Amino acid sequence: MTAATGEPVLWNEAELAEFRRMTLVWGITVLLLLPILALLGYFMRLYQSGAFSGMRAEWFYAVLTLHSLGMVGTWFVGSMAGVSYLLLKYARPSLGVSKFAYIGTLLGVLLLIACTLGGLFGTGWYFLYPLPLFAQGVWAPWATFTFFLALTILGVCWTVWTLDMLRAIAQRYSLGAALGLNYLAGKSGPELPPLILITTVSLIVSLSGFVAAVIVIALFAARALGVNVDPLLMKNLTFFFGHDLVNITMYLGIAMVYELLPAYAGRPWKTNRVVALAWGAVLFLVLFAFFHHLYMDFAQPTWIQKFGQICSYLLAVPAGVVSIFGTLALVYASRMKWTLASTFFFLGILGWGIGGIAAVIDSTVEVNFHFHNTLWVPAHFHTYYLMGVVLIILGFIDHTGKELSGLEEKPSLSKLTTALLLIGGYGFLFMFYWGGVHSVPRRYAIYPREVMQGTFYARVAVGFITLLLVGILLYLWETGRRCLKALT
Amino acid sequence: MIQMHAFYVFLGVAGLLTAVFLYVALSTRNARDINIQSAYSLRKRLFFIVLAVLLLGMGMTLGKTPYPKGNELPDKVVFVVGKQFSFALSDAPITNDQEYEASTFGAPVQVPAGSLIEFRVTSFDVNHSFSVYSPDDHLLAQTQAMPGYVNRLRVRFDQPGRHYVLCLELCGMGHHRMRGVFDVK
Repeated sequence: MTAATGEPVLWNEAELAEFRRMTLVWGITVLLLLPILALLGYFMRLYQSGAFSGMRAEWFYAVLTLHSLGMVGTWFVGSMAGVSYLLLKYARPSLGVSKFAYIGTLLGVLLLIACTLGGLFGTGWYFLYPLPLFAQGVWAPWATFTFFLALTILGVCWTVWTLDMLRAIAQRYSLGAALGLNYLAGKSGPELPPLILITTVSLIVSLSGFVAAVIVIALFAARALGVNVDPLLMKNLTFFFGHDLVNITMYLGIAMVYELLPAYAGRPWKTNRVVALAWGAVLFLVLFAFFHHLYMDFAQPTWIQKFGQICSYLLAVPAGVVSIFGTLALVYASRMKWTLASTFFFLGILGWGIGGIAAVIDSTVEVNFHFHNTLWVPAHFHTYYLMGVVLIILGFIDHTGKELSGLEEKPSLSKLTTALLLIGGYGFLFMFYWGGVHSVPRRYAIYPREVMQGTFYARVAVGFITLLLVGILLYLWETGRRCLKALT
Repeated sequence: MIQMHAFYVFLGVAGLLTAVFLYVALSTRNARDINIQSAYSLRKRLFFIVLAVLLLGMGMTLGKTPYPKGNELPDKVVFVVGKQFSFALSDAPITNDQEYEASTFGAPVQVPAGSLIEFRVTSFDVNHSFSVYSPDDHLLAQTQAMPGYVNRLRVRFDQPGRHYVLCLELCGMGHHRMRGVFDVK
């Protein structure tokens, strides 16, 4: 293996084998978390359809919190683990740090399960200040403490992981080179793999998000000690953190597609001036687009609201014109090898695009006035995730499992799995979009008279989720087998 | 209804994108080399088209925000407080829990149809969302109810009748049953 600098990347076979094992462990963990968290989502839509009318609504909100945080965390670590593995070709990330992050993630997940399913902590994933401190007798102080302890542990280990990957890149590429500045200056070399460019951009953004999270947790602690904290400041910091975390999860997934899809298409995908410019634009725009989460906070200055819309809109340019077009140009009339993995990469980019269209629409202030906190919101981010980065990460796990196990896929089963995921997935999503269009609020355990159409939409969604779950189970059976064989 | 217009735009653009992806996927049945310069040229055109569409969208919408405009005065002010788990609306400021209770259980505030109404919205505890539904159950307008802040939501109601207010910001176990009410006459 050689780096772009021409120097050899020194991995001996034992080190590589250990890294492969760790990647498989991450992959299998993601595959174990997926059905559990998906079933929690299934429970939520079932509850909204009226299936569990005898069960207290507190359970819905606790499950909502676990499902949402669990999914955000699972796909973040899935993206990080995937990119970390692909980075081995170009840099030396630390195996020890990956293990540290793994243990921290497991501990954080256990604590989250304890405070939500054990303590009925039910603030939703963004724990909007000061809601965690206003339990109304539903969750006890220990649950609030455990929640913040979980976030702290996850934050610390993921920040260390992020810093280590940046360190690994920095040891092979200067910051300017890693951000593609050579290309912007008109030079064509040294060659910078797109993986390095996108990962560098993403990790800088995620680091800033983690800093915001630290401030949020510290200010919660200050409030618990009796210090007055500005709720608008907290909301800005919380959404800056959350927006960054989910976006870089997707960008790291995109990085995996840039790295892996070329081999399937039989064509290269290289960094050039336009790609470098695009990701430089992303680095700037994504740091400010989060303002679109606060449009309905009229106390926020109007110029900031409009700036948020402008940044959110302009983010569609690098995404659409460079990454999505690049995918299409790579695949168009190519000798494309259509496997489960490559199909998932291709469809994942489409899903990211569709979610992006819904997001840009909702990032219009005038439209957001009618869509904010309706089902349109989970519609668009579930599209980004379920039909976007989740497909990409599942594709990566399958690709890696196949590579390391040598077990081939059965094309007919792959087609059936893909069809079930698409029909079940987009059907489930459509009911969210339709609900948003018809003013149904998000995060309602029970739909009151004014929005009782939400109950019917939930029932239809349950049907589609059933198909989706069958597809997920088929995928888990095949890909899980390959990963376990590779591990043993 | 703006929601439906937005949905049609979404379906149109998403449908177009899906069709392009399908076309590209099917093209792999006839593999051939492509001219990379043609691809770059197409990308350049796509860049200008996408940018033009986005600039048009911004131009059409950035001036239509729901934020209060300094050059207009409301015809009537309604004071709103959100608290776990009810909205209190009143013609007079609500400054404490007693006034909140009285306004929650009192007769609904009445506002004249066609007039510019300003809701001054705050919260006594956590973030809520003051979200107004029309008599035929469409989400008409919303703003956040945040402790320590007053958000001013200005709306003109054309349709007379009872308007319910739901909370659209997760605020605890009673979030889904939190409501307020006022009448447009």
